[in-house]
Amino acid sequence: MISGGPADGRQDTAPLEVLAGFGRALRAAGLVVGTDRLMAYCQGAALAAGDDLYWVGVATLVGRREDLPTYNRVFREHFLGAPGPPPVRERPRTTLLQALPLGLKDGDGPQAPELEAAVASAEEILRRKSFSGCTDDELRELARLMARLRVEAPMRLTRRRAPARDGRPDLRRTIRRSFRTGGEPVERAWRARRRKRRRIVFLLDVSGSMSAYSRALAIFAHAALRTDARFEVFSFGTRLTRLTAALQARNPDEALRRAAEDARDWDGGTRIGDSLRSLLDRSGFARLVRGAVVVICSDGLDVGDPAVLKEQMARLRRLAHRVVWLNPLKANPDYEPLARGMRAALPSVDVFASGHDLASLEAIAAAIARL
Amino acid sequence: MFHVVHFESVDELETALRRESYLADEGLAVAVHLALAMRRPLLLEGEPGVGKTEVAKTLARILDVELIRLQCYEGIDSGQALYEWDYSRQLLYARALQGGEIDAAARVHELFGPEFLLERPLLRAVRSGAGAVLLVDELDRADDEFEAFLLEVLSDFQVTIPEVGTIRAETPPAVVITSNRTRELHDALKRRCLFHWIDYPDLEREIEIIRLRADGVDEELARSVAEAIARIRTMDLLKLPGPAEAIDWARALALLAVRRVDEMSARQTLGWAVKNRDDLRMVESVIGEIVGG
Repeated sequence: MISGGPADGRQDTAPLEVLAGFGRALRAAGLVVGTDRLMAYCQGAALAAGDDLYWVGVATLVGRREDLPTYNRVFREHFLGAPGPPPVRERPRTTLLQALPLGLKDGDGPQAPELEAAVASAEEILRRKSFSGCTDDELRELARLMARLRVEAPMRLTRRRAPARDGRPDLRRTIRRSFRTGGEPVERAWRARRRKRRRIVFLLDVSGSMSAYSRALAIFAHAALRTDARFEVFSFGTRLTRLTAALQARNPDEALRRAAEDARDWDGGTRIGDSLRSLLDRSGFARLVRGAVVVICSDGLDVGDPAVLKEQMARLRRLAHRVVWLNPLKANPDYEPLARGMRAALPSVDVFASGHDLASLEAIAAAIARL
Repeated sequence: MFHVVHFESVDELETALRRESYLADEGLAVAVHLALAMRRPLLLEGEPGVGKTEVAKTLARILDVELIRLQCYEGIDSGQALYEWDYSRQLLYARALQGGEIDAAARVHELFGPEFLLERPLLRAVRSGAGAVLLVDELDRADDEFEAFLLEVLSDFQVTIPEVGTIRAETPPAVVITSNRTRELHDALKRRCLFHWIDYPDLEREIEIIRLRADGVDEELARSVAEAIARIRTMDLLKLPGPAEAIDWARALALLAVRRVDEMSARQTLGWAVKNRDDLRMVESVIGEIVGG
């Protein structure tokens, strides 16, 4: 093994304090630099000549490509003494959500029995009330109802095999068992491919034209995330934002507040095609979509180029298992998908539904599990 | 046992890599040097076709040891990565022995002897120790659970087979892990590794890479290909061509005896550089600008 740190006789490397100070500076800048990484860095610095200090640090202290710009800045400041411009922290533009906190209490107490009947019928009415006409109190109540909703994804077969009652012969276990019966495979064992739930990816339109619905749909996505933590939620207006982390907060109020901070294009215009493209181009995101059920919640009023939308929807459909489009406008029986964006998207949509009230969302949640 | 090749400096390593036709950028050379000296796995990330796998292959050649490759895929498990008993042979053997064996214990012992053990890449690497370079290719394709298992093997290079005992590497092999980053690898694994992101090379380096790798390609052709590739990389494509595509393209053009890439020859051979239908259409529409200048 390597015997020495920087002190083992090679004098041309930087002294230990300088290296450790660099580690601290990186930590202060937000990189995760553990003691193990720092030790590796010192070891590496002793092994390589002084000129390579930069690259030694890249190899030992940085674990993600995203951290490289920060690393470069701190390196410049620390070793070359040139302070870079201070980082500018953008103030999130939050309008809709922060103005109206949901103010939910965690777990409502039990209700008196005589109230229950009245509450039940009130629930029924609320269940069929369009989100656009809901007051803040009603939205709060809806959030409570949606929390009970289970959004289950359909199953798929995986490549992995596991012991099962039938399927293909499981040689390992059959032979093991045969040793008990003198090498005669009396009791046979089988393996079958395991089943796994698909992922559901929600794409929420948070543009101005959807503002009456976007809060309720975000609550819906939040409730779905509680069913399965592997689900993903993105919002789009003029650009794409990943909301999964923000919506993972237990309390819907807190979740929506964080989501509003992340999605800065809340209440702006819509560029669905471009947003889809940025989803599909990022290989990390595209992987989330592969084989998943994608649920797009949007009115399809797109200011972008319909040709782009058409093309990206076709890509999405190739990658995803099923594409569901929820358009609140469809609740109107006279609605016809005449908007250019909606027309361009429809050929690539498997299920087209409204999702404007709780009853329709419940129906969709049940339908998704069978897709 | 094995003579461990040691490199005194980064320059020395870079020269050795170059002798084997691998042109490493400075950061990569430092990372490889440290990985060898500190006996740590090297994690290489980068776009497809930038030569991640090639690093391991070249390293095996300059160290003059065997390259053991573990190709990851969804659903890979320890039976495919570590070891598996050859059950069909065990069964046949047990059958053959049924003719009234007296010394049953010894026979059963034989059933779990080395000839029934199917060695998979990880076990082989542990057995070879410093006599091998272990390449764990495209780890991002394997499931998370497999990553945890791999981490365990990589931390002590020790494998326990209940029927045989514990096998341990005296000196761990050099390990190269590659990932295309279709998902983020776990932090625990990253902390064990030295990390390097391989970027697309700059123009001059790419020309040199093409000339090193593609036989019969002269400076003029190499330069025109590298320039065209550099222009293609500025476009908004789904899959940008890497050095691997540049090399293939240059080779194809050389076979057609093209002296420098022009509109016609580019149209005929563009499929070597751009491998997606939508991209192909997009590049073809501006082919004049791509090869011009």
